[in-house]
Amino acid sequence: MTKKKRLEPFTIVSVVGVGFFMVLCVVPFWMIISGSFTAESKLATTGYSLLPEPFSTAAYEMIFTGPTVLEAYFASIFITVVGTALSLAATSGIAWVIARRLPGISRPIAVFAYLPMLFSGGLVPLYLLVTQYLHLQNSYFAVILPLLVAPFLVFIQVSAFRQLPEAILESARIDGAGEWRIFFRIVLPLSKPILAVVGLFYAVHYWNEWFTALLFITDIHKYPLPLLLQNMIQNVSFSQMLPTSAGQSPPVYQLRLALTAVTIGPILLAYPFAQRYFVKGITLGATKG
Amino acid sequence: MSALQTREVRRAASTPKPAAPARRHKPLRGNLWVGLLALPAVAFFVVFAYLPMVGLVVAFKEFNVADGVFGSPWNGLDNFRYFFSSGEAGRILLNTLLLNTLFLAATLAAGITLALMLNEIRGRFFKRVAQSTIFFPYFVSPIVISIILQVLLAGVGGSGGAVNDALAGFGLPTVDWYSEPGPWPWILTVVKVWQMGGYLSVIFLAAITSIPEEVYEAGAIDGASRAQMAWRITIPLLRPTAAVLLVLGVGRIFYGDFGTIYAIVGDNGTLFPTTDVIDTYVFRSLRQLGDFGTTAAVGLFQSVVGFILVTAAVLIQRRYAKESSVL
Amino acid sequence: MSISRRRLLAAGGGLSIAALLGAAGCGGGEDDSGSGDSLTVLLPGDVPPGWDAVLAAVNAKLKAELGFTINPQFTAWANYKNQTLLKFTAGESFDTALQARWLSMTQLVASKSLVAVDDLLAGGKYPNLSKTLDPKLIEQNKWSGKLYGIPQVNAAARIQHFNIRQDLAEKHGFGEIADYATLERFWYAVKQKEKNVIPMAVNSNMPDLLISNGQPVGLFNAYSWDNPQPSAQAFSGDSLPFVMALDAKQTGSSRPVPFWEAPGMVDALRAVRRYYLDGIINKDALNVDTSTVNSQFEAGRYASRWAITDGLSSKSVATLAAAVPGARLANVVPFRGGRSAKPYQTFQADNFVVLNAKGSSHEKAMQLEDWLSVKANHDLISYGVEGTDWRPVGSDKFEQVTKYTFPGFALCWRADLELKIKDITESEDAWFTWAKDYDNFTVDPFASFIPDPEPVKREDAQVVAAMTQYANPLFVGAVDVDKGLDALKKALDKAGIAKLQAEMEKQANEYLKGQ
Repeated sequence: MTKKKRLEPFTIVSVVGVGFFMVLCVVPFWMIISGSFTAESKLATTGYSLLPEPFSTAAYEMIFTGPTVLEAYFASIFITVVGTALSLAATSGIAWVIARRLPGISRPIAVFAYLPMLFSGGLVPLYLLVTQYLHLQNSYFAVILPLLVAPFLVFIQVSAFRQLPEAILESARIDGAGEWRIFFRIVLPLSKPILAVVGLFYAVHYWNEWFTALLFITDIHKYPLPLLLQNMIQNVSFSQMLPTSAGQSPPVYQLRLALTAVTIGPILLAYPFAQRYFVKGITLGATKG
Repeated sequence: MSALQTREVRRAASTPKPAAPARRHKPLRGNLWVGLLALPAVAFFVVFAYLPMVGLVVAFKEFNVADGVFGSPWNGLDNFRYFFSSGEAGRILLNTLLLNTLFLAATLAAGITLALMLNEIRGRFFKRVAQSTIFFPYFVSPIVISIILQVLLAGVGGSGGAVNDALAGFGLPTVDWYSEPGPWPWILTVVKVWQMGGYLSVIFLAAITSIPEEVYEAGAIDGASRAQMAWRITIPLLRPTAAVLLVLGVGRIFYGDFGTIYAIVGDNGTLFPTTDVIDTYVFRSLRQLGDFGTTAAVGLFQSVVGFILVTAAVLIQRRYAKESSVL
Repeated sequence: MSISRRRLLAAGGGLSIAALLGAAGCGGGEDDSGSGDSLTVLLPGDVPPGWDAVLAAVNAKLKAELGFTINPQFTAWANYKNQTLLKFTAGESFDTALQARWLSMTQLVASKSLVAVDDLLAGGKYPNLSKTLDPKLIEQNKWSGKLYGIPQVNAAARIQHFNIRQDLAEKHGFGEIADYATLERFWYAVKQKEKNVIPMAVNSNMPDLLISNGQPVGLFNAYSWDNPQPSAQAFSGDSLPFVMALDAKQTGSSRPVPFWEAPGMVDALRAVRRYYLDGIINKDALNVDTSTVNSQFEAGRYASRWAITDGLSSKSVATLAAAVPGARLANVVPFRGGRSAKPYQTFQADNFVVLNAKGSSHEKAMQLEDWLSVKANHDLISYGVEGTDWRPVGSDKFEQVTKYTFPGFALCWRADLELKIKDITESEDAWFTWAKDYDNFTVDPFASFIPDPEPVKREDAQVVAAMTQYANPLFVGAVDVDKGLDALKKALDKAGIAKLQAEMEKQANEYLKGQ
């Protein structure tokens, strides 16, 4: 029975449905890639371009000839890697404490972690805190620390922890395993899929983060990539008001598309690594059906 | 709610032995020991979230740059009056609620559907490619989304666009999309689903992986079809995750998705009747003024309403779906 | 489905900056900017390509001549306003910044965060700077008798006008266009004969410019090209412009009226509506920004666009000619009476370099401005290293060789020192030269009147919101004039326009009394 491969209607519907959504995602993706290699003069008359013709790498040249682009890649990688590791550790810890439903502890901590999602003191206090009390300006940690724990992801992880099979934990307790041991030896290994997802989301946040960098990083040699790119795109718009006669104008449309491509690239490369964890789990669950 | 719980913590902390060990939990000392795991995150919240909240006092102040937050004179509830005396408040509040409810419902539904469908796909390669592609829109910046939308709906120069070409091809009348407010809640919803569908499906996929295989095997033996299994087994098991996302979303329902809406609608007043939300209105009217007091007041109003809604949602959830309650 | 903190913070990039800005100004604390012998200079925009080399040269020269260096900090354009306000609020000790009415200058002056520079200038200690500042410029840029920053201008006045495709004009038999009626006929000819060209480009940054906004002329306001004498004032940048009585100076009574009651305005609205319906202007004006439209113009999609007398619209010549062989540009300023029209002018600078009251040394900041008024120094930071980054063309033009660009108007724009771009067309050169002469203008009776929005700031904020919603669609012709104007008036009534009008009249009359 388990081996029988019957093509069920729902499977067909699924393939068609997912395929349709994929098309909706691939077409704009192709428009971005193709457009980023198309000459500005064509883009500006049609607004898009489905084939990179006339071919042009002007936008990429502009991005990659910047003096600080390599430093920016380094900064972003540092912020993403270190930030994700720290965030994942802090988030798993608090999420497990909430998920454990400890009387008198879990619920207050849950409320405590949730309220910052609603209430925020604003920029000025944060700015003063980081620059005048913590003295973190021009440090990568000024970008990482204010974003360290996202309440949203804490609760995603809580709900995943709650679905761990109670029996395994219970038997570990009966075997006399301590709470910390249970957490590190049983809970975390069993939660690889959700850790991969939450880690991926954190990585994406850090990789795209430019606003905290804008606030706290003034040294151009320490700009992370998104901030550098943000500046570049805005500058193209405003530099039209500046006196220069350096031949051709910078390509506005093309640059916007190329910047999207440059930002997405590394994350799409990293995606399959995180994906391994949750796809494998699913395959196990599904193929037996 | 929180005050009560703080008291509970204090009591718990000062009592050497728990009065009556609830269920089979370890004694309190052990609980505190587990609680240490939360310490780094708690420290983070204290320093980077709660400490800066002193800044909220500016909502009750007549702000000026020189005196700053503590020196500026108090002005009671004056800052709150600005928004409600505008005559537009009713319409904007309604827009905010409607749009966010639409977004929340549509993105959640899309996330669950996509996850279920992906779960049905056997070919590993296809599945991997599919997952990567549908995650991609999450990275596209609002500016680029707005460029793509203009190509579809307006074309260069504002007359034409791919959609109108298609409409004309079928002999249907074309639409000046950018001066027609009616369809925009739906257009924005489609954009949100496109943007967030893949992202949310990943969360649900991770939840599906933790469903034990035996559950499905039992279903298969009973002769259930894949669709029946998805409907009767998978969806109920996804309820806790969906509930969490729902509660979190309800709390932020009075915030708009400023980035996306503003990038797409911008200052196009003809579309405001259906697309103007609190965040865009406040941004537009105060960007010139730089009045931190008034903007903080509107933000505080949004927070308080969100707080009330979440409290209600949590109470309902505790009553009807205790298992999935996180707060 | 927001992603909590990141979104919260990211939102700050735009709006919620506002909503989030809790603000705490206890400041004054120790931050490392401005310490030692280095002045911190806040600049908008991105770091120019090749900046490290230029900055090293600037600092070496500064160190040798004045004994200190500068430490410029760039902030992306879209965040510049909020970021600088944040730094002022936090009490940081940076030295100079770009400020203007379109940024936060009114607010900063009110809170005494800026140094009055006229007192510093009066001592005669900064001869190079004083030499480059026209007395009229200083006089007209005083706010209530004080100069709160060094005005950055490259001409006496800025008049908005049209930049057109001269090749198309000639192709269709128009030769040199000098008046508005001919210009309009040119547009209709282009519409009829050039299938892929839209006659005139408008965009989301300019709706109010089309009719009038404190400018002597509204772009599509034919009446104003014949009579460039309205004096219009608004409490803030996007607010409702009130037009002052023409005889205000003689009678001492300003009698401001909302723009639609001034002569020519409603006709202009009807003209724009006609352009919209006839396809003379693009229909997506409210959703495209300047850079997008300019890029389309440079690809040959439009036959004309907005320009201002800053000598820079000819920058597009090379790009345009590459995309459309044979394309040529000309600037059309369709005053009746041409260069002898003598339009009203406030001579108010669009940009100022301001000195932070908490800066490390006001004297050094002034020395820096003085030093930048010397041609060699000015050229070094403005255009880069001579021979490497740029070379002179003739006596008053330059050619940029590298991609170096510097936001000069945020630090060192001096009308007499600015070089013209190499590609400047003859017609643009002529109008630019005209705009440099103060005698070509009539001083606006309200020239140095800066209305104070403080007493009506809530009403003003609501009027701004109503203007964006109801007036902008009207200004770009997207709605029926009568219906749109009706809706606008209703919304403005609700927002409190009466209070604004009364306050404007009161302040303007006081100003006239003081003259």
